[in-house]
Amino acid sequence: MNDATQFEPKIVAYVCNWCTYLGADLAGTTRLEYPPNIRIIRLPCTGRIDFNLLVKAFEIGADAVLVSGCHPGDCHYTSGNYHARRRWILFRELLDLLGFDLERIHFTWISAAEGKKFQQVVTDVTEKTRKLGPYTELYAATAAKGLPQMQPKPFEFRTFDQQDELRAEARKLLSAGDVKVVIGYGERGPILLTRPDEADLLVWNNRCTANLAMYLKRKEVKALGKPALVVKACDERSLVVLEKEAQFERKDLHVIGMACEGMEQPKCANCAVRTPRFADTTIGQLPNQVPAATPGKLDALLEMSRAERMAFWVQEFDRCVKCYACRQVCPMCYCERCIVDKNQPISIDPAPSTKGNFAWHIARAFHLAGRCIGCGACARACPVGVDFGLLNVQLARAAKKHFDYQAGVDPSAELLIGAFSQLDKEEFIG
Amino acid sequence: MSELITERKLRQLAADWISAGKRVVGPARIRDRILYTALRSSESLVLGGDGYLRPANSIKEFFFPKQEQLYQYRVRGRNIELLEPSADFAEQLIIAARPCDAAALPVLDHVFNWDFADEFYNRRRRATTILTIACGAADDACFCTSVGIGPEDPRGSDAVLLELGDGRYKVRPVTEKGGKLLAGKTEPSQETAPETRGPERKFDSAKIRAFLENHFEHAIWAEHGRSCMACGVCAFSCPTCHCFDIVDAGPAAGSARVRTWDTCQFPIFTQHASGHNPRGAQPARQRQRILHKFSIYPEKFGKILCTGCGNCVRNCPVGLGVLNLLTEIEHGQHL
Repeated sequence: MNDATQFEPKIVAYVCNWCTYLGADLAGTTRLEYPPNIRIIRLPCTGRIDFNLLVKAFEIGADAVLVSGCHPGDCHYTSGNYHARRRWILFRELLDLLGFDLERIHFTWISAAEGKKFQQVVTDVTEKTRKLGPYTELYAATAAKGLPQMQPKPFEFRTFDQQDELRAEARKLLSAGDVKVVIGYGERGPILLTRPDEADLLVWNNRCTANLAMYLKRKEVKALGKPALVVKACDERSLVVLEKEAQFERKDLHVIGMACEGMEQPKCANCAVRTPRFADTTIGQLPNQVPAATPGKLDALLEMSRAERMAFWVQEFDRCVKCYACRQVCPMCYCERCIVDKNQPISIDPAPSTKGNFAWHIARAFHLAGRCIGCGACARACPVGVDFGLLNVQLARAAKKHFDYQAGVDPSAELLIGAFSQLDKEEFIG
Repeated sequence: MSELITERKLRQLAADWISAGKRVVGPARIRDRILYTALRSSESLVLGGDGYLRPANSIKEFFFPKQEQLYQYRVRGRNIELLEPSADFAEQLIIAARPCDAAALPVLDHVFNWDFADEFYNRRRRATTILTIACGAADDACFCTSVGIGPEDPRGSDAVLLELGDGRYKVRPVTEKGGKLLAGKTEPSQETAPETRGPERKFDSAKIRAFLENHFEHAIWAEHGRSCMACGVCAFSCPTCHCFDIVDAGPAAGSARVRTWDTCQFPIFTQHASGHNPRGAQPARQRQRILHKFSIYPEKFGKILCTGCGNCVRNCPVGLGVLNLLTEIEHGQHL
């Protein structure tokens, strides 16, 4: 019997119905003893585990989480575990940046025949967690430390030479009648033009920061008919992803590609391709350039301790008011009904509380894993300046590091999420 | 004979409150913007300079927080236990507010005391003292003068401070509470504050109201509303927008009923359980926001639900905001 003062960890195990759950059952029927600290939650497949479930387990007091499914090749649904593995590689990088303790998150494969392994894993995880102690670090703001802030460069307004050419092209397209609406930049922000005589309202200057691909998902815009979309080379990458995800048919869109000298945004320093590659009409020509290697805020954040990182995010998210501007201006956030708007049952705490904001920003960032092209629209739209763009950058880096994948660069490349490889790394899987 | 207060005394006042463990709210620089925030030190208080006009948020969140527990409940078998929230309505000081923020409170008082007196709001109102600093400048997005407010408007403030330069402010007490707060911290002065300049009048609100009341269906709504991305930036940074939702937060067995900000710009704001949405497209939602501010609220409470702060214009990710539409109505061929 344990000493009453001994810490008894609570461990939530999300296991698949077909292998690990049966492995647990086998452990039981063969009378194998293992610590009672584990609470098993049976799910159809590890590939169906919503990552917010793990976070939720910690929120309600779990000290560790275990995920276990079928061995590679054994999945009841042929490939669910491969999908899980790939997503885990990315998800761990996200949790790491957020300051979660990866030592408390376990992933393993246990087959229906491995009652013994189940016993072993549960015993190991329990002992390891017992040594780590209770998970008190979660959402603790005590270690808060600021990030170095970049000084904004003085802004000098410039109109680019191609403005007239752009206007002429818009006029031509609208006059010909094939295109019903031109989505471009106006004096105050994006404008939607439907008549040729409005073409002179278009501008092309270094304030044209918005990623206009966001309008492709809007019902009100779809109703207008075939659009012509003004894009920069960076924004064009979202079109590559959206087309791959079957969000529009290329023949239903006219792309006006603008060669771009830069919009005075921090991301512009990292720009390699300046002339759109797949446009129907390309205006201007600028050669590719070598991106400046800028050690940014993300590196500074990664150098902090785990507790400091979490404290940083607690403070950042504290300002979030859940206006969802980040979601709304994102071309990739096109779900008809966002997970956060589902209320029967509530999946993500709708309140802008610490918990609710972590859940929201984790869901948002992770739903964009391998899809975000780094246009920065979300961060620009945030009215209270939450630095959540760093989460997307971290995931983009992870995609590059682990899979040599960059969203929206190579139209022939398979989408990162939704596909898998038998060669995906699994050194973190026990 | 009037009084003035120095910046040093003003910061000292903030510091005294902070060290007494009381909440002091004021503009502070956070990353690349200035926001009203609960100050940790009086040093971070931003009083002006560097082209500063006003914070990107509003002070409403210190009366009507973005999320607030109405009560907690515990479900134990068939018993449901209700737990009152810890009433945290300690005294708070808002320092260096703008008149367009303070003036929103007398407007909001109506709706929070209409068919139901909202004690959460009212008790915070009573527990708060507001020191406002009059505006010395305005930008293109400012339009307080078009909705009947001005750069040194005293409404909602307990005292208004007018900049004299060199870190000195002329004090214009408005309420007894404001006078008491500053008593002993001011010094006599003969100086007159330079005249404050409000933004030029950009529209005639009576004319706008007349237009709105007669043009529920009009092409301008679709034209204006179709580039709107349906986020809540305008409403959540607005000093007067006050719609809320009530949700259950936390695990079902031991949970809290929470009031959170909501906005008519979200499609699910009006979504019925059947799936039908009476405001099915964004132009209808934009129209709702404008109508509520400039027609429905004035009709019900006699006041415009807008103080012309311009936050919706400055913060909108796609360059909309109420001002742009209203000036279009004012100058366009719509009337």
